[in-house]
Formats: sequence, C-alpha cells, structure tokens
Amino acid sequence: MLVLVLNCGSSSVKFQLIRTSPEEIEAGTEKKLARGNIEKIGMTTAIVSFQAEGRPSVKENPVILEHRVAIERVLELLSDPTVGIIKDSSEIGAVGHRVVHGGEKFSKSQVITDEVYRRIVECCELAPLHNPHNVRGYEIARELLPDVPHVAVFDTAFHQTIPEYAYLYGLPMIFYRRHGIRRYGFHGTSHRYLTYRMQQLLGRPQSEFNLITCHLGNGCSIAAVLRGHSIDTSMGFTPLEGLLMGTRSGDLDPAIILHIMAKEELTLHEANTLLNKHSGLIGISGVSNDMRELVKEAQNGSKGAQTAIEMFCYRLKKYISAYHGVLGGADAVAFTGGIGENSPLVRELSCKGLECLGIIVDRERNEKLNGSEGRISTDDSRVGVYVVPTDEEIVIARDTANAIAGKL
Amino acid sequence: MIRDLGIVGAGTTGRGIAQTTAQAGINVVFCEVSEEKVAEAIAGITATLDTEIERWGLTKTEKIVILSRIRGTTKYEELQAVPLVIEAVGDELELKSDVFHALDKVMSPEAILVTNTSSLSITQLAAVTNRADRVVGMHFSLPVPKRPLVEVVRGLHTSDETVQRVKEFACDIKKTAIEVFEYPGFLTTRLILPLINEAMHVVMEGVANAKDVDTAMVLGYNFPQGPLELADRVGLDEVLRWMEHLFRELGDLKYRPCPLLRKMVRAGNLGVKTGRGFFVYDNRGRHVRENVSGIFRISHPGPTI
Repeated sequence: MLVLVLNCGSSSVKFQLIRTSPEEIEAGTEKKLARGNIEKIGMTTAIVSFQAEGRPSVKENPVILEHRVAIERVLELLSDPTVGIIKDSSEIGAVGHRVVHGGEKFSKSQVITDEVYRRIVECCELAPLHNPHNVRGYEIARELLPDVPHVAVFDTAFHQTIPEYAYLYGLPMIFYRRHGIRRYGFHGTSHRYLTYRMQQLLGRPQSEFNLITCHLGNGCSIAAVLRGHSIDTSMGFTPLEGLLMGTRSGDLDPAIILHIMAKEELTLHEANTLLNKHSGLIGISGVSNDMRELVKEAQNGSKGAQTAIEMFCYRLKKYISAYHGVLGGADAVAFTGGIGENSPLVRELSCKGLECLGIIVDRERNEKLNGSEGRISTDDSRVGVYVVPTDEEIVIARDTANAIAGKL
Repeated sequence: MIRDLGIVGAGTTGRGIAQTTAQAGINVVFCEVSEEKVAEAIAGITATLDTEIERWGLTKTEKIVILSRIRGTTKYEELQAVPLVIEAVGDELELKSDVFHALDKVMSPEAILVTNTSSLSITQLAAVTNRADRVVGMHFSLPVPKRPLVEVVRGLHTSDETVQRVKEFACDIKKTAIEVFEYPGFLTTRLILPLINEAMHVVMEGVANAKDVDTAMVLGYNFPQGPLELADRVGLDEVLRWMEHLFRELGDLKYRPCPLLRKMVRAGNLGVKTGRGFFVYDNRGRHVRENVSGIFRISHPGPTI
C-alpha cells in the first residue's frame, strides 16, 4: 500500500510517499518513493522542494497562501508525469498524519473516525501552537482524499506508559484534574524509532534491553525506555522542559521567571517568547542556536559559545546518569537528531566521566561517525553507545498501515 | 480570510495597525502623502519591532518576516485590489471625507471601507461614498499591537454582512471586537473620559496628589495604569479635544473639561510627548518615578496580545 505521510506545521507541509504494509514490514521490502517540503506558506513566495525516486528533483517558489493549496500541490507533484511517481492520487492507499499532542486520550496511533477527530480537536487546548495546524492538514487531506483511511500518529503517545509518580508535578492535584497539568513528553515517534532500530543493532527483542534515547535537534529531549516502554522523558507539559535547546531554556527554577517578569515588567507574551525563543544556546552564546556554528565559534575562542556547549553537554550528562539509575541500568544509549547525529563533540562531552556507569566512548569511532548509523562505544564498554539517524516518517507510515490492518 | 489590507495614513495608529495585521500574516499596503512619510513610517515600525525584540517579545527572524509583509505607497491606486481598507488619518471630518471620497473611486465596489475614528459620525463619512452599506468604523485601542480590543462601529446604513466580515477580520488579527452603534464617544472613550476628568478634579480640589490618585486606582481597582498616567500617554491636548467634543455633542455638564486640564494644555505640559504632564517622562516615554514595587505587577501583568 502507498502511504502519504503528512506533517503540517504553521507555515510548512512536509511529506513522504512510502510503500509499506504489514507484509512488507515483515519482509523488509518497504520503499520510500518520494519526499518533499513546502515552506513559508502564506508569505510572499513559498519554497517547494520535491524529489521522487529516480526522477528529476524540483525546486520552485510559487505563491502559496494556504495549506489547502499546499496539499493540492503535493498531490499534483506526486502524480506529475515528469517529476512524479504515481499516475494519479487514487493510487494513494492511506494518509498518515503527524499530530503533536494526543493528551491522555491516545496511547497509540488511531484511524481517524469522527470520534477520534473530535478528541484530537479537544487536545488543541494543550498544544495551541501545533495541534490546530495538524488538524487543519487532516481536514484538507480528508476533503482531497475522501475515500482512503487517515491515521493519526501522536508525538505524545509513546510516553503514555510513563508511571504516575513520574508524570505528575509537585503541584496541588487539582491542577492535574482541572487542566491536565502533567508530563506528556514529545518526540515520541523518534524515541520509538530508536527503540525499534536498536533491536536490530543489538540483535535482541526490545523486551530484553533498557535504553536511553537522546533526540537532539532544534528541540531536544531524552527518554528512559524500559524493555520497550518509555518510563520517563525530559520534556514535560510543553516542550520547554528538560535539556538545554537551541532557543529554549530547558529546566529552570520556576521562581526565576516570576522574578524576571516582576523586575522587567514583562507581559505573559514577552515572558513566553523569552523562554522559548531567546533562551538556550542562542541566549547563552549570543552567537547562534546552531551547534555547528557554536563549535566553530568556540574553536575561534568565543567564550559564550564555549559556555553554551559546556552547559548543553553537562545537562545531557546529568539526564543520562539519572535515567541510567531510573532504568536500573541501561544497556545502550542512542543519539539522534541534527546534533546527535552530527556532533561528535557533544556525544563525547556528554558521556565524558560516565565510565563509572560503564559508558565509554571510543574517540576514533565517535569522530568517524557523522550522520550515519553505528556504534561509538569501545568494545569493553558495558553500555553500548550508538548513533542512529531518526526516521519518524517510516514510523508514521508503518503505524498507518498497521492501524488499518488492525495490527497495532 | 482577508489576506491583503490597505491602510491610509501611517501615523501612530496606522503604523500600529500595519504591524498588528502583518504580524497576523496579512500583507499590508499603506498609503502616505510623500515618500518621506512612507520611509518615516517604515522606520517607525522597525523601531517598534526592535523595542519588542529588546523586550524579548519577538525574534529577529520574526521581525524580518513582519517587515516583508508591509509596503508603503503614495498612490491610492495601489489600494485598488484589496478587499478592505482602513483609513487612519487625523480625526477631522473634512480630512477623512476627502480620503473617503478618493478611496471610494479607486476601490473595487465590493471592498469594505473602514474608518478608525474615535468620535466622528460613520454615517456622515459614508455619505460621501457610493457604498454606505460597506462603510464601518473600527476604533482600535492604543497602542494597537498591545491592546486586544477593537470597537466595531455601525453607521446608520452599515449592513450586517459588513459588520460580520469586520468582526471576523478582528478575530483573525487576534482582537476581541465589541459592537457599538454610532454615538459620540462610542463606548471606551465615553466611559474613560469622565473618569480621567474626575481624577483631575480630585487633584485640582486638593483632595489628593496625582501619584496617590493613580496608586489608588492601580491598587484599589486593579487598573494596569492610573487615569492620570493614561491621560499623559494619550496626550492632554487630545483629552481636552475629546472632552470638548463630548460636551459640545451631548451638552451634559458631566463632560465639562476640568479647568486644570485646560491650564496644563495652555502651559504646554501635554504629557509623554512633551516629557511632562501630571508626571515626568524620559525621552523613551518611561515614567520617571520612584521604584514601584515589582511585586504587585506580577499579579497584574496586564493584557497581552
């Protein structure tokens, strides 16, 4: 079956066309047929990039003011006689949608029925910046492809196995009951992919090992995975908590923000932007939110960049150590995301000094691995350390195929 | 949804509307009388956005995106294709009538013509156009990007459809619309002015000093700022002009301008814009005062956009 994977953001649509089915997953014959991106929707000119298997690639800058036009363009590109890969959109057998927040309502992917749709809309309250766009993408796709099943795959679902004592905050319980204040965690699809992939790299079923997964991109989160189940993760009620990130503060004494709001007379909006867009690597370094740039700047002697990198790695190390304990011993640590896949420095520094926990990174293996998959720990390291480029789309495609077949 | 917007007049209000709507993803063309004024307006908006960045409310990338949606012109013809034009020139009937007359000629017949007046008659302005049913008032509270309220004002001939569309537009730019029927001072101006005027009487009659009047209203009634500071920010000459307008239109003694107000205007102490009114201000419009305890500000962060 051909699954169209859609990820609709506020001004972007990312998509892939993937051939998969329960049988093909079993036989390992899945195939990615096309992928693309439409960015800057609603601005003067949008940026469209598209590449189908064995076809010429497309770059164009049309005016795309709405998500509807963007998704129509996706379908046109896929069925274009020169650059496309299918005859017409009726070949698409299902659509898999990335949905950021599934709240407590969804612990696995779901075929979107009227009831499921209603519950996803209810989750908009928890993720007002993300879910509405995901929902809009679904509504449009359903109109354009009314005859095929649509499946929702949630960023939060993988973390629904976190136990109560780990997901609650030390606030009066009434807030949990009244407003759903609890840890939800994000990047679930990526953490799940790593878990799945590590089965193959370790040659053992996921029920037989414990894992620490580090998703380090623009947003960063880490998860403790006990025999295939997430039991804790660093992002919380929103993606602001936990590790230091490109522009987000991560963990913070909550009294600080009250204090700053009072001192600087900030409004809620200003405080929110301060924490989400001006903090983290960019706020500390004053140079960049991009780890590659920071490494360069640090080498050139930028003190701010050096501090930012040190803080980033130190926090990561703290979480790795904590989750090692939480798991009663991890068998492996896996790095992914832009930083996790491409920064040997971050991997080295965040594992440095963890030899006491049985985590020993092999310098040479680590240096050599850039954007590819493999082991970077020494042969005698009790805990395996791996780099695994993430692939959220394949997880969405598989879940879509499996949900339709009733095999989730 | 409205994607393109025209604005005539890029003073404080016009710039505020341009910034707010561009921030909401709308492409804006504004019209001013000269290239210098156009450049001045762009520079003004840029400066406001820079202040926002300094206050952590915006990022540099967002600023670039917002500015890319704003374009200035000196020709009404460039507003030909937009479905909605907001007129935000000075609040004088003759001036606004001229603009309306000119706009009515170039705009497409279906387009809506909005005036941002705080006192003039929508019905009277609509009379110079051939689209009285598509003329409506939108009275934005200042500063526009910070205040989430807009008064949608119906003239005698304004159609329900026009009111509905303008309300939807308000919602799209994240403003809460309240609907009022054309009447002197509409709602916000009419309610706040007697309060400001009364505060001035309290000072004039020696009941309390200006600082205590404001403190009382901030702490006692949860006002984000006191009535006298508000008057200073609006401009005391503006306050006087409005009071006179209400007094003239409605004739009721409760709108009689406080003599202290007249005196201060005559003395040239107009508030923030001259650096001195009931209080003293620095050149960035910040209240020069003793350190106000930050603690009460926490619980009253004021409205956000």
